[in-house]
Amino acid sequence: MSGERTLAWWLVFLGMLHGTVVFAGFFAPYDPAEQDRQNPYAPPMRLHLVDTEGHLHMRPFVYALKLREGAFDQFEDDTAHAYPLSVFVRGSRYRLVGLLPSRLHLFGVEGTRFYVFGSDAYGRDQFSRLLFGGQVSLLAGLLGAGLSLLLGLGIGTLAGYYSGWKDEVLMRIAELFLALPWLYLLFGLRAFLPLAVSPLETFFLIIAIIGAVGWARPARLVRAIVLSAKERDFVRAARGFGASDLYLMRRHILPETKSVLLTQLAILVPQYVLAEMTLSFLGLGIPEPVPSWGNLLSNLQQYSVLVSYWWMYLPALAIVPFFLGYLGLASLLRERRDGCKIERAGQGSVT
Amino acid sequence: MNPEPSTNDGCMQPLIQVENLVKRYAKRSLSGQREEKLALDGVTFSVSPGTTLAVVGESGSGKSTLALCLACLERATSGSIWLNGENIVQLSEEERRKVRPQIQLIFQDPASSLNPRWNALEIVTEPFVLQGKWKREEMVQRAHSLLEQVSLSPEFYTRLPLELSGGQRQRLAIARALALEPKLLILDEALSALDCSVQGQIGNLLLELQSSLGMTYIFITHNLAMAAHLADTVAVMNRGRIVDLGPSETVWKHSECHTTRQLLAATPGLKRSLPTGLER
Amino acid sequence: MRYVLRRTAHVLFLLIGVSILAFLFSTLAPGNYFDEMRLNPQIAPETVVALRSQYGLDRPLPWRYASWLNSVVRGQMGFSFAYNSAVAPLLLPRAGNTLLLTITATLLAWGIALPLGVCSAEQLGRVPDRLISWATAALLVIPDLALALGLLVLAVKTGWFPAGGLASVGFESLSLIHKIRDLALHMTLPVVALVLSVLPLLVRHVRAAVADVLDAPFILAARGHGIPRRTLLYRYALRAAANPLISLFGFSLGVLLSGSLLIEVVMSWPGLGPLLLEAILARDLYLVLGGVLLSGLFLAGGNFLADILLYWVDPRIRTEGHAQ
Repeated sequence: MSGERTLAWWLVFLGMLHGTVVFAGFFAPYDPAEQDRQNPYAPPMRLHLVDTEGHLHMRPFVYALKLREGAFDQFEDDTAHAYPLSVFVRGSRYRLVGLLPSRLHLFGVEGTRFYVFGSDAYGRDQFSRLLFGGQVSLLAGLLGAGLSLLLGLGIGTLAGYYSGWKDEVLMRIAELFLALPWLYLLFGLRAFLPLAVSPLETFFLIIAIIGAVGWARPARLVRAIVLSAKERDFVRAARGFGASDLYLMRRHILPETKSVLLTQLAILVPQYVLAEMTLSFLGLGIPEPVPSWGNLLSNLQQYSVLVSYWWMYLPALAIVPFFLGYLGLASLLRERRDGCKIERAGQGSVT
Repeated sequence: MNPEPSTNDGCMQPLIQVENLVKRYAKRSLSGQREEKLALDGVTFSVSPGTTLAVVGESGSGKSTLALCLACLERATSGSIWLNGENIVQLSEEERRKVRPQIQLIFQDPASSLNPRWNALEIVTEPFVLQGKWKREEMVQRAHSLLEQVSLSPEFYTRLPLELSGGQRQRLAIARALALEPKLLILDEALSALDCSVQGQIGNLLLELQSSLGMTYIFITHNLAMAAHLADTVAVMNRGRIVDLGPSETVWKHSECHTTRQLLAATPGLKRSLPTGLER
Repeated sequence: MRYVLRRTAHVLFLLIGVSILAFLFSTLAPGNYFDEMRLNPQIAPETVVALRSQYGLDRPLPWRYASWLNSVVRGQMGFSFAYNSAVAPLLLPRAGNTLLLTITATLLAWGIALPLGVCSAEQLGRVPDRLISWATAALLVIPDLALALGLLVLAVKTGWFPAGGLASVGFESLSLIHKIRDLALHMTLPVVALVLSVLPLLVRHVRAAVADVLDAPFILAARGHGIPRRTLLYRYALRAAANPLISLFGFSLGVLLSGSLLIEVVMSWPGLGPLLLEAILARDLYLVLGGVLLSGLFLAGGNFLADILLYWVDPRIRTEGHAQ
C-alpha cells in the first residue's frame, strides 16, 4: 500500500531531523557556550573550492575573518591563509545523548573558527547553538504535548465513560480553559510562577504550563470517542460476560482513541515548540546561557541587531522543516483514519 | 386482553419469571429539557427451561429494552426478574456482574457486537479471560470446541470479523455466548440481518443446540413466520406492554387480541414466508 | 430573544468562571508573590499598606476575590502597583488598539479566505485548488514569529513602512486625511503578519466545509434548476456550510487574539500585548489579571456575535429554539 510507504518515508524524514538535534554534540562543531570575544557578530563564513589566485583546492576551505578597514563591526575574508575543512575531527568535549562522553565532531576547521551561521554578540557559534537549542525546544514541545494528551486522555475518558454530573463539571471546566486565547492563558499562568529560577527548573515549569494549558481540546475529542464506543454492542457483550469498567476501558474503549491521539500529537508538538519559542523569545522562558530556539532570537528585539546582522534571524526558520514533517504526518494520519472509517462503515452496516 | 400470567406444563419451575417490569428512560434533549420515555410498562411473563419464548411486536414496542433488562445490561426502574430465586433487579452492581454470564444476549448486527480489531479466536476466548479461572491452554481448548460446535472450521480462527460472512459472524457470536454456559440465551433480532438461506442454517443450529444443551431461548423478532416455527410460547408486545401471551398455536390461530391480529394480517401467507431449510 | 439571553448568560458564566480560576491559580502558585512586591523598590511602602486595606492582600481568598469583583463593577478593575493607578484606565486605550488590529485582521483574513476556500472547493483536485493548497501549506509551516520578524526586516530594509509603533512623530499636527493615512501605514505590517498567520488555517477549513456541502444532492438539484454558479456557491453552498464556518470563526478569533499578543510586542504596536508583558515582568498582579480577562472578554464577545449570526443564518437553530 503506497499510503504505508509514504508514511514510512515521512517518519524517516522526521527521524533524520530529530537525529541531527539529538546528536547535536556530534553535528555541531563547537560547544554552544564557548565564546570568542574576538569575533562578535561575525557573519556566516563561506566554503570555497577555488582561491583568489584561481587554484582549485582538494578540500573545501575557509578564510579567517578580519575586521574591515575603518569599521568596528564589519568583517571580511582574510585571503592570506586558507584553512581546509576536515571531517570527523576531535573537538570540544560533550556527552552523546547526555550519557556517553565523546570528542568526535562531524566536521571542523583547524586554525580558525568556522562560523556556519555566524556568531552572536559573544562570538558563540550560532550553528552549534541552533542544534543544541533544538534539543531544548523540541524536548519541551514533545514533553508538553505528551502531558496535554495524557491529561486529555484521562479526563476525556472519565467524562465520557461516567456521564452525568462528573461529565458536566469536567466539560464546563474544559470550556473555561478554552475561553481564553491560548497565548494569553499561557502568559497568565506564567505570570504567577516565579520568574528568576534556574534553567532546569524553568524548563520543567514551561513544560508543565504548556501541558496544563492544552488539555481541553484533546479531552473533548477523547470524550466523544469514548461516548460512542461505550454504546457499541461489543462493549455491551463484554459487560455481559462480567467485565468490569476498568477492563472495558482498557481493552475495548481506549484502543479506539489511539488514532486520534497520534494525530493530535503530530499537530500539538509543533504548536508547543512554538509556544516555548514565544515564551523564551520574550524572556519568560529558558534563560541564558542555555540556548533554545526562542532565546536565540531574543536579541532581535533590538533594532540594531535586526537591521545589521541578518544571520541572527536564521533560528526562526529552523523550525520550518520540523513543522513540515509534523504537519505532513498529521495530515497523512488523518487521511488514514478517515479511509479506515469509510471501510468499516461499509462492512458492518445493516438495515 | 388479559394476559395469562404463565404457561408451562405445570410440572417444571420456570427458569425466569418477570413481574411488572417497568423501565423509564430520562433523556436530555439538545435544548436541555428532560424528556421521559416509558419503554416498559409493567411486563409480566415467565419462561420454562428448555423452551423457546418468542417476543414479537413492532419497532418501539419495547422488545430490545426488555432484552437489555433481562441480560442485566440495563437496570429496570421497578418490578422484578426472578432467576434462581433471586430478584436480579434489586442486586448490587457487583452481584449483577456475577449474574450476567448466566443470561447471554445475541445482537442483531453481528458486525457491531464483535470487536473489529480482534480475530475470531480472541473473541471467543474473551469470556474465559474475563472470568480468569482457566489456564491459557485450557481456554484455547474450550474456545476450539465452541467454534466446532457452531461449525466454524479452524481456517477461520485467525480471521477478523470483517473477513467473515454475516452467517459466520453470527455463529461466532453464538459460540462466544455459549462460552460461560448460560442458562438463557436472548436473541434480539439475531436472524433479521441475515440472508434467507443463512437464516435457515442458523435457525437449525440454534435448534440443535437447544436439544443438545437444553438451552432456553427468548427470541425477539418482528418476523412472525420465524416466531411461529421456532417458538413454543409467544408474547406480543405493544408500547411497552405484553398484550397477548400463550402457546404458539393458540396465539396464531385463536387470538382475540387486536395487535396480534394486525401483525398477522400484515404477514401474508404464513406458510409461504418460511425461511428456507427451517425444520422443526 | 430567549436565545440571545441564554447566550449572554453563558458568556457571563464563562467570564466569572475564568476569573475565579485565574484568582485561584494566582494564590496556589508557589512563591510568595506579595513578599516579592514588598521587596520591590519600585513599590512604595505606603502603596503596600493602602493595598492591604483596600484589597485585603492578606485576607482569605474569597474576600480578595469579592473586593476585586467589586472594583471591576465600579470600573476600576483593581490597582496597578507599577503604574500606581487603577487598572482600567491603563487597559482600555490599549484594548482599543488591540481591537483595531484584530478586527481589521479578522475582516481581511476572512475576506480573503472565503473566496479562496470556495474556489478551492469548487475546483477540487484541479490546478487552482492545488496551487492554493500548496501556497497555504507553505504559509502554514512558517511560524508567526518568523513571519513577524521577517516583515520587520523588510520594513527596515525598504523603508516603505514604519517599523513599529502606532503613529509617527507629529501625528497630532496632521490633517484628518493624513492622520488616517499615517495610521494605515503603521497598521499595515502588523495586520499583514496577523492575516498571513491565520490564513492557511481558514482557507483549509473553508475548503473542507464547502467541499462537503457541494457534495450534497441538493446542490446538484439546484444546478439542475439552472441556478447561476456564483449564486449557487455563495448563497446556497456557503449558507449550508454556515454552521461549521461560524464555529471556525470563533476558533479563528482565539488564534488571532493570541497572534496579536506576539505581533504587538514584536512590532511595538501599543496594544494589550506589550502591556501584559511588562506587567508580568513587573509582577503587577491586577494588571496581569485585568489584561488576561479582557482578552477572554473579547473572545467571548466574538463568539457571542458568531452565535447570533448563526441564529440568523441557520433556520434549524431557530426552529430548535422555538420548539421549546
